[in-house]
Amino acid sequence: MNHAIRADKFLLDADRTTWHDETLWFVREKRDRAVYAVPEFQELRELASQIKDHTLSRLDLYLQEFEAAAQANGVHVHWAADAAEHNAIILDLIRQQGATRIVKSKSMLTEECHLNPYLIQHGIEVVDTDLGERIIQFREEAPSHIVLPAIHLKKEDVGDTFHLHLGTEKGESDPQLLTEAARQHLRAKFLAGQVAISGVNFAVAETGGVVVCTNEGNADLGVNLAAVHIACMGIEKLIPRLTDLGVFTRLLARSATGQPVTTYTSHFTKPAAGKEMHIVIVDNGRTQQLGRPDFRASLKCIRCGACMNTCPVYRRSGGHSYDFTVPGPIGAILSPNIDMKKHRSLPFASTLCGSCTDVCPVKIDIHTQLYKWRQVLGEAGEIPASKKWSMKFMGRLLASARVYGLSGQFARQALRLLPHGLTHAASFNAWAVARELPEPPKQSFREWYQQQPKSVPQPQTPQVTV
Amino acid sequence: MSSASRNRILLAAQANKPAETPLPTVPDFGGEATAERFTAVLSSIGGTVVWLDGLGQLGSTLQQLFPEARNTASPLFDATVPIHADTPTHVLAEIDLAVLTGEIGVAENGAIWLPEANMLHRALPTITQHLALVLDHRRIVATMHQAYAQLPSTGSYGKFVAGPSKTADIEQSLVIGAHGARSLVVLLY
Repeated sequence: MNHAIRADKFLLDADRTTWHDETLWFVREKRDRAVYAVPEFQELRELASQIKDHTLSRLDLYLQEFEAAAQANGVHVHWAADAAEHNAIILDLIRQQGATRIVKSKSMLTEECHLNPYLIQHGIEVVDTDLGERIIQFREEAPSHIVLPAIHLKKEDVGDTFHLHLGTEKGESDPQLLTEAARQHLRAKFLAGQVAISGVNFAVAETGGVVVCTNEGNADLGVNLAAVHIACMGIEKLIPRLTDLGVFTRLLARSATGQPVTTYTSHFTKPAAGKEMHIVIVDNGRTQQLGRPDFRASLKCIRCGACMNTCPVYRRSGGHSYDFTVPGPIGAILSPNIDMKKHRSLPFASTLCGSCTDVCPVKIDIHTQLYKWRQVLGEAGEIPASKKWSMKFMGRLLASARVYGLSGQFARQALRLLPHGLTHAASFNAWAVARELPEPPKQSFREWYQQQPKSVPQPQTPQVTV
Repeated sequence: MSSASRNRILLAAQANKPAETPLPTVPDFGGEATAERFTAVLSSIGGTVVWLDGLGQLGSTLQQLFPEARNTASPLFDATVPIHADTPTHVLAEIDLAVLTGEIGVAENGAIWLPEANMLHRALPTITQHLALVLDHRRIVATMHQAYAQLPSTGSYGKFVAGPSKTADIEQSLVIGAHGARSLVVLLY
């Protein structure tokens, strides 16, 4: 099923679509206010971009530097080529502990690897501790946004979910009361958690430490109460130096939610006395993307979600319509790398307006890459027949001035004569489903131009009145 | 299994990486390193700043601010519960108020650097119901660049804390007090 068909389902509820659109635009506006408060914000973007470019250009060396530093800190380092290996390593570590209960803080990588269903299938209780993640976990849904996982839900939806799973009163929809119920529920889980899994926002090659950013403090609570901390990171999370964090921590939360910084920016470098810390370094298609010159810049992404909040297509189609762990513009670049056939419609889920590129804190040329993916997909024969043939037809038509002029005449006549039911038949003209066709002009611009006097006298000097 | 994957990943990264580009130097952008700026930003994100005339005022100020706190933890005064790295979880879970020393304040975002050495237990700053951080106002810097420049290392564990635990996961409504401390008071002296 392609993106447009899934988006159609989301669009069935017009009020909810408008609300979704406005909610995300509100986050985008908060981002703008936070960004304008920092005079050097554009310089920071450039620095971040250069630091990430540099890191990718020495990725193998920085990975080894990071590994050596982490091991010197007493941290166990594991390598996983793909999702299956990542999951197997984690299950193995949990079993070594004889543990059956784990608490997780937010990690898009574990979502990408489908870790939760894997662990549950092997008899492990998995509790997502980020509030948004917990809500969608109760509902057995996937996150619809990488920073705001439950952004597609209204407070009444959360109220229904908590009534069912946490026993809150039926019809309760006050966010304060619902959050308090989740706080009590999750505190019990934190206290009982035997192993804690966290994601990684930044991994510092120089120190061998990992940095996790949250507002709720759920990573800190989970990790610091459990006996074992497993941090899962994609290879692209690396930055070279501790001081580089100055750049990225100034960009991340401002771009994501418009906050000056996340509430907790936690640096995990060595395990606590008597406890264990493990880091799982995951490839899962990333080195392949590194080898694609047109698309490797997507590995610079710091997962702030700014491109989603600003994207007119994402805001009006919802994260689930992308059917990929990372939705929105950046997800539409990352997904065809993983499975070109399955995700072939995603690079077309964009107006190419460039707003995503404008807000990207690490200056990824997102809309250019979307355009390039369309070409790759075209060459690979992954474009639907209707699009392929209509493009071929339009290419012929636009290549010939005579054919173009004739078809213009024909179209102007046809628009006048054909009945509305035919010109707006959804099966012929998907464009007109939600739009009116323009009033056909009496003549084309070319015809009008040819009727004009050959030379119109132009003023010799600029006409300036003082 | 893991070492074969390690080699595969490193070889693929080596083969597929682009030509080397330089690592830029990050300048110090300057900025406003004042207690006023720090206070304004921290207040805007849900924290509170209270001035102490001196550390001698700590006890009386805390009593005024937290009259309800029964179980307190702190290395700075005679707290009711002694906390150390091996304190069991159920004891930690009962702490109402933790009072700890912050090392560096960041004016641009209201964040305070809290190293493990100042925490008593790694979980204490988040498991406590309320957190108070004592900070020397002369340790306020303008930006995160200046903060990291002052850190010799981040130790075994440490974090920047910027306000109370919060969430906006339910319909973007800001709720203070998600999992961690429900409030953050910074006691400046």
